[in-house]
Amino acid sequence: MQHFPILSIVTLFLGAFLTVIFGSKNETVRKFIALIASSISLILVLMLIKPIMIEGNIIQYWLGNWRPIHDWAIGIGLEVDALGLFFGIIAVLTIFLSVVFSFKYTKKDSETDKYYVLFLMLSGAVLGLVFTGDLFNMFVMIEIMTFAAVGLTAFRNYQEGALEAAFKYLVLGSIGSSMVLAGTITIYSQVHTLNMAQISALLFNNLTPAALFAFALLLAGFSLKAFVVPFHPAAPDAYMSAPSSVSMAFSGMVNKAGVYAIIRLVYVLFHAMDFKSIQILLIIIGTITMFIGVTMALAQNDFKRLLAFHSISQIGYVITAVGVSTALGLTAGLYHALNHTLFKGLLFLTAGAIFYATGTTDLNKLGGLAKKMPQTAAIFLIGAFSISGLPPFNGFVSKWLVYQATFEANMAPVTIVALLVSVMTLASFIKVAQSIFFGQMPKEFENVKEVPLSMRIPMWIMAILCVITGILPNVVTKYLVSPAVSAALNMGKYIDLMMGSGYAEKILGKPIEIPNIDFTLAGYWNPVAWLVLFGLLLIAITLVAVAGGFNTVSLPTEVDDPKYDVFFSGEASEHSHVKGNDLFWGLKHDLRHYFGFMHDAHSGIINDYALWAIFTTTIFIVYIFLLVP
Amino acid sequence: MILINYIACIILIVLGFYVILTKKNILKIIIGMGLIDYGINLLIISIGFNPGGTAPIFTFSELKPESFFVDPVPQALTLTSIVIGACVTAMALSLVIKIKEKYGTLDADKVRRLNG
Amino acid sequence: MVVLKYLFNVLVFPGLLFSALVGLILSGLDRKIVARMQKRIGPPLIQPIYDFFKLLGKETIVPRAASRRTFLYAPVIGLLALVTVSLFIPIFKYTAVSTVADIIVILYLLTIPAVALIMGGAASGSPYAGVGISREMVAIISYELPLVIVLLTIGKQVGMVLNKGAITFSLSQIVSYQAEYGPMITNWRLIPAALALLLIIPIKVGSVPFDIAEAEIEICEGPLVEYSGAPLAIFKLNHAIKMFIMTSLFVTLFLSGKGTGILIVDIILQILLSAVIVVISISTLKAITARLKVEQVLKFFWTYPTALALLSLILVWIGR
Repeated sequence: MQHFPILSIVTLFLGAFLTVIFGSKNETVRKFIALIASSISLILVLMLIKPIMIEGNIIQYWLGNWRPIHDWAIGIGLEVDALGLFFGIIAVLTIFLSVVFSFKYTKKDSETDKYYVLFLMLSGAVLGLVFTGDLFNMFVMIEIMTFAAVGLTAFRNYQEGALEAAFKYLVLGSIGSSMVLAGTITIYSQVHTLNMAQISALLFNNLTPAALFAFALLLAGFSLKAFVVPFHPAAPDAYMSAPSSVSMAFSGMVNKAGVYAIIRLVYVLFHAMDFKSIQILLIIIGTITMFIGVTMALAQNDFKRLLAFHSISQIGYVITAVGVSTALGLTAGLYHALNHTLFKGLLFLTAGAIFYATGTTDLNKLGGLAKKMPQTAAIFLIGAFSISGLPPFNGFVSKWLVYQATFEANMAPVTIVALLVSVMTLASFIKVAQSIFFGQMPKEFENVKEVPLSMRIPMWIMAILCVITGILPNVVTKYLVSPAVSAALNMGKYIDLMMGSGYAEKILGKPIEIPNIDFTLAGYWNPVAWLVLFGLLLIAITLVAVAGGFNTVSLPTEVDDPKYDVFFSGEASEHSHVKGNDLFWGLKHDLRHYFGFMHDAHSGIINDYALWAIFTTTIFIVYIFLLVP
Repeated sequence: MILINYIACIILIVLGFYVILTKKNILKIIIGMGLIDYGINLLIISIGFNPGGTAPIFTFSELKPESFFVDPVPQALTLTSIVIGACVTAMALSLVIKIKEKYGTLDADKVRRLNG
Repeated sequence: MVVLKYLFNVLVFPGLLFSALVGLILSGLDRKIVARMQKRIGPPLIQPIYDFFKLLGKETIVPRAASRRTFLYAPVIGLLALVTVSLFIPIFKYTAVSTVADIIVILYLLTIPAVALIMGGAASGSPYAGVGISREMVAIISYELPLVIVLLTIGKQVGMVLNKGAITFSLSQIVSYQAEYGPMITNWRLIPAALALLLIIPIKVGSVPFDIAEAEIEICEGPLVEYSGAPLAIFKLNHAIKMFIMTSLFVTLFLSGKGTGILIVDIILQILLSAVIVVISISTLKAITARLKVEQVLKFFWTYPTALALLSLILVWIGR
């Protein structure tokens, strides 16, 4: 039990090295190594659920058994509490499904050994980041993560823009890493330790100007890793040009790692959520993130780029909810983080399937694929409804929590923006559905086939998980989210477990409080609603059966009969293809100045993007110095 | 004269940011990233420095309460950071080679096919 | 027994049968009133019921280019969501499924029929439907902003009185607030919100002047262009039920008072009040205006109703 966290990390790194040694010649060997490594890591992490999530323990592990001497941490420690494990579960799930998906998906690529090496390193780094208890170790893991992510972005370097995206990601990522490193070292100069538990204890009620400076730098650096808005422009480029299985890992765990680091930073390391100004800072950047993300997504013409902007927008929900800082807000944020991993991973896999089958993800070229790829279409609809927050899918549950949390915190404008963003999300997925799966089919896609089974299995697993987390919110909250919430709020226990019991009380000078995470929820949490829905489903099935919906043969379509043609009022059908670009004319016309401005702002020039990042960091520093006492 | 160290590392970092923000040649942008790295490395070393301290190399019998030495942890951190910086620079340079092959230019204003 | 009771609720009252019947009659009333306003005689009151059964008897044609499953399921899913909403809306103090009623759930469930229409239209593979669904989506974006603000305003007002300032999303609390303090409309702070909701009802049920999605003159009924037979009948039914549900929601949110305590009387009162709202908000507008342009709809809803609703929200916020 004690060794599971380190083993789950080491297995992935070991897998990466074994792939270099044994897998460079043989395709089967490298797939086998990747599958074994990711599934061992999955099993090890899942086995931690019982002791940590249910029994409420915290696992600590000192590398090389360098335990603290005289209450002073000297070794590198791993510390897995429920918060870390929550993100760990998200990560291993993404890793496993992505590996399974990529078996067939990378069939047309050469040199897939590099792909698996980089992917396993990315996975190991993310897992290491969420399990570590050491601030410098966190920096190292972030650097490995960025490095592997850049390599994977440029993996399909024959594709338009892949190299460019990788370069932008690398420059922005290294600016972020520099900030994290500078912040880490500033903290070290203050407290002379790198152990997060000890830092948390020593910085309590002891926020010197240098510590505040470090806080601003770390917040900016982690925000860059989570792709919060002014730091975001590398994300759409990278997500778009990376292979879909990697895009899924990016949005599923790489930016979640950034979110985890932000939560750890503001809740545990600096106790910063006691300050109203920090809460407001997080809520403001979260709200801006979700709004700009979704409006940019509305204007996109590439499926994966659109999904990338949605990824940014959904991270905005998470940051906003985390910023509300009540137990309800944190629950909402973590639940949405989990849901975002599920539905966004699902949608990226759908994009991958579309790319695999047709060779493009351009919304203006595709159309009518639902007839050729019915399962992919069904999975896409589940994902689209989940992200748009339609009941009974999972996005609804977490968004509902976000609305309640923000409104209870007297943040009505935020609630209104959140609801509006949700509708706009729906709008852009309607656009995708119309221009990829429905509408008219261009001639060149007559021979498109459904993707192979090994690609459909991960998609179906995620789709089923989307529905389960949507209809069983009680169970998910009780066993996954609430332990993580109480772990994030209960820093005394976190400190004690790492540094020896009684340490927190000695340094903090007060007994450890067990935080109260009770909150009242109205409405959706009632099982009666499910009985009603069941009855309704019964009726629906009957109705469809009566209408002949199940027996698709019962309604004939003769090939020659013009009765079954679509009505074109005399035009030739190829001249009246409604493309993705043609939708939402009214909206685009009314908001043309805004859309034009945003399009110009995302200029694609790396200097501009760096300017945004540095300028926002400066604003963070000034804001924190002015408003935090 | 520890103050000179801090001034120097701040100058290095600011110069690095200046290069990243204003230079359009992507090779120079990589040099800017390098400058930031070096500045931060200098900062780390300076933080661990104790004026008059000896090198932190002792065996168990030599370590006495009155021994005065520089902080060893930042030096270890610097080593790690240098290694990572070298990796990142190598990666960036290899990307620049590929970009030059594909785009035929190193101008950041022209390497912008992904925008909007 | 419990299951039987729920089945009764779902199938007969206040679910499928009841809301379908009332909805169809209300839409008949609407047609009649509009005709009289335009100096025509108009169809009989139960003409929509005849139309419904006529459509059920017609042949169902699925176009070759359509995705059959989605095309056929879409109307049913819309109906499903509407019936669910009808269970959650309290009629004075009576709720079929108690304590699950919640403003946000209703807001989202009311989006599903529109999404079903969009999906069905998209699945038909017609370019007219393509244009129609994009217009429908613009309409949803337009009205969602003021609608959300109206609902939050009511929640805030009720929460301030009953929950010591904490917001409530629960419909049953809204009803009990009104039973205690009189209908919401009697509070002058909420009158702008009521006006905003009256403007939202026509676009929500898709009637002139806001029926850009189904503009039959420009784009041949948009999403419905390829539908025929039973699926079309269900879409028409959805339309009628939506009309009843929206007006009934208005009655529950703004006009519901103490009630008489006798269920039958309450129900009749609710239906009568709904009919009044239909006449005020849907028929009158339909008779006196022409269809707006696509871009005008968004501009209109993001200015006047949003401003009214925001005014209400601010008044409620500072009036505590």
